[in-house]
Formats: sequence, structure tokens, C-alpha cells
Amino acid sequence: MVQFNLPQNSKILKGDYYKDKTNSNNLKKINIYRWDPSSGKNPRVDTFEVDMDNCGPKVLDILFKIKNEIDPSLTFRRSCAHGVCGSCAMNVDGVNTLSCIKSHTDIKGDLNIYPLPHLKVIKDLIGDLSGLYKQYESIQPWLQTSQTGQEKKEITQSQKDRSKLDGYYECILCACCSTACPSYWWNGDKYLGPAVLLQAYRWINDSRDAEKKQRLKKVADELKLYRCHTIMNCTNSCPKGLNPAKAIGSIKKMLATT
Amino acid sequence: MQNNNPLAPHLQIYRWQISSLLSITHRIVGVINILAISLICFWSISLLMGETNYKMTEFFLNSFFGKFLVISLCWSFSFHILNEIRHLAWDLGYGYDLKTSKITGLIVIIGSIILGISIFVVGKYII
Repeated sequence: MVQFNLPQNSKILKGDYYKDKTNSNNLKKINIYRWDPSSGKNPRVDTFEVDMDNCGPKVLDILFKIKNEIDPSLTFRRSCAHGVCGSCAMNVDGVNTLSCIKSHTDIKGDLNIYPLPHLKVIKDLIGDLSGLYKQYESIQPWLQTSQTGQEKKEITQSQKDRSKLDGYYECILCACCSTACPSYWWNGDKYLGPAVLLQAYRWINDSRDAEKKQRLKKVADELKLYRCHTIMNCTNSCPKGLNPAKAIGSIKKMLATT
Repeated sequence: MQNNNPLAPHLQIYRWQISSLLSITHRIVGVINILAISLICFWSISLLMGETNYKMTEFFLNSFFGKFLVISLCWSFSFHILNEIRHLAWDLGYGYDLKTSKITGLIVIIGSIILGISIFVVGKYII
């Protein structure tokens, strides 16, 4: 359903203001979306004044600094801190990205940090991705072969066939692209979204996989696939520089030509 | 999952990209064009009904609002045609690169203004 406004319980209130206590001259205002499930109140946006002279270069460094020095209750997911795990995906300065590889020095003015758009918020910057994981499961993201297991023979792949997976196997499923897609916002329950469709293409395109036709048939659906209108917010936001729009376009082309 | 969890803000906070702006404009302009085509059909029918109707249409189109409407429709048709070419290229598998799509997007914006004005000028002063 297309609903442009936020529901009543999601309207954002004005939050607390945390004034700087270090007397630093190099301050940056950081606005962060907060929601505490135990409070029973609406979400709010807190503003933190952060001393930039003693802070690392990444947005994640700011979040750590706030959590360590100003407000320990600030909640966010993170793990590897160098753009490999995809845990710290969030909306920074209006575009989804991984906060651990996003430099805050190229953002002028105040810095706005929100959770990934149009997800149910679990706490502060953590969104509920279980729907997306269910959709990921539905495309069966594992190798399916015609072998019985008795062959005792390796399935080989030529270098050329392997190179067809370049630009697709690198996806870390951070969900930046799917939650940047307006189509996914309005039809997220049925439309698979760029992240899952990119993965679907990755398996359709794998020369070792025997279920290519089945996979294509499964994804060829008015709602599952064709809700993509090439808005390209996905490609614009991908922190790994991949191109989900192209993957979806390739699936559409495959379906049209076979 | 409890149902009282809030929904994270989306349209309210997401930064507009050239691509998303063009996409929504394409849709709105498409609807406007359908309305415009029906309007043009009504005008054509009214012309068949005699000279007074023709005079009325002419008077309306020469008014400030009429001119504005005609120029806007010239633009909206040009925009839709140019952006549709972009969509056709995508369907053929070309132009998905971030840089290419940005450049073609800018071409559509600038091209639609140039094409819209030239259609108006050609129609008004040359034919």
C-alpha cells in the first residue's frame, strides 16, 4: 500500500539536546533518530554536539564516540567496521550507506543519521530485516545441481563463466539498496526488492547451477519482479558499488528473450 | 514482532537523486499527457461544430493561460518521449551504469526543454 505519511505512532518528536562539555572549537551537530521500545513514546531525534578534533574519520567513529562519551544507551548494529559484514547499514545524510566506510568529512553542516527507511524499528538505528531474509530464503540462494552425489566429480567452471558473476557475488546483503527503493517501500511484502533480485540473478547466472529455468520461472511475476521501474535509487546507494538495477534489467531481458 | 514498533521515516528523509526525480516526473507527466490528449480530442470535435467554436478555441489558446498551457504540454510530451527512449535503452540492456544514467538523465532534462520550446516555435511561427 502506498502511504506517504508516517503512521501516528511513528511521527518524529523533537528530542534532547546534548551540549558539548569538552570546550572544543571544532564542533559538529549530529542528529540521530532514537526510539526506545520500553518508553512507550514516539520516536525522537536527539542532537549531539561532538568534538571533531578527537574523532575518527568515519560516521561509525562518531557513533562510537557518542556511545562511549555522551550517551551509552545509543543502539546500533556494527561488526567488522570496514565494509565487509554489512551490519552498520543506515541512512546517513539522506542516502543509505554503511556508516563504517562513509567519511563524515565530506558532509557539510549538520549530520543526520536515521535507520534504514521504511523498516519496523527495533531500537534506535536498528531496523527489522526479517521480511527481507524470508524473501532471500524464497529464492533458494544455494547451488542446485543435477548430480546425485554418486558421480564423485567436481563441477568445474571456466574463467569466462566465473567472470559473469563479477559485480554480483560481492553483495554483502546490507539491505541499503532494498530500503532505498520506493517500490519496495510501497510493496515490500510482495516485491522482492533489489538486494534479493540481485542475488536471484547471481544464481540464475551461475554456469554450475542446473535450475536456471526453474529459478527464472519462479521470479517472473508481476509483483515479485516487475515492480522495478528503474528508479535506480538502489544503484545510487550501494556502498559496494554494485548495480542491482542492471541485475534486475538483465533478468527482465532474459525473460523477454528466452 | 510487536505491531506498535514505529516505521522508520522514508520519503521524509531520503535525498532526491536525479534518477528518482526523473522517474516520478515521468509518471506524473504521463498522466498529464493522457488528460492533454483527451482535451485535444475535445477541441478537434468542437472544431467540427462550426466557426464560432473555432474562434472560441483560438481566443482561449491566444490568452496568457492558453499559451502557458500549450508550452507546458509541448514540454511534457517532449519529456515523456525522451525519457521513454531512455527506458527503451534500459530494456535493451544499455545505460545502467551510474554515470551513463546520470548523463542521459541530464540530457533528458535539458533536451526536453529545448525540444519543447522548438516544437512550440516551429508550430507557432513556421508552419
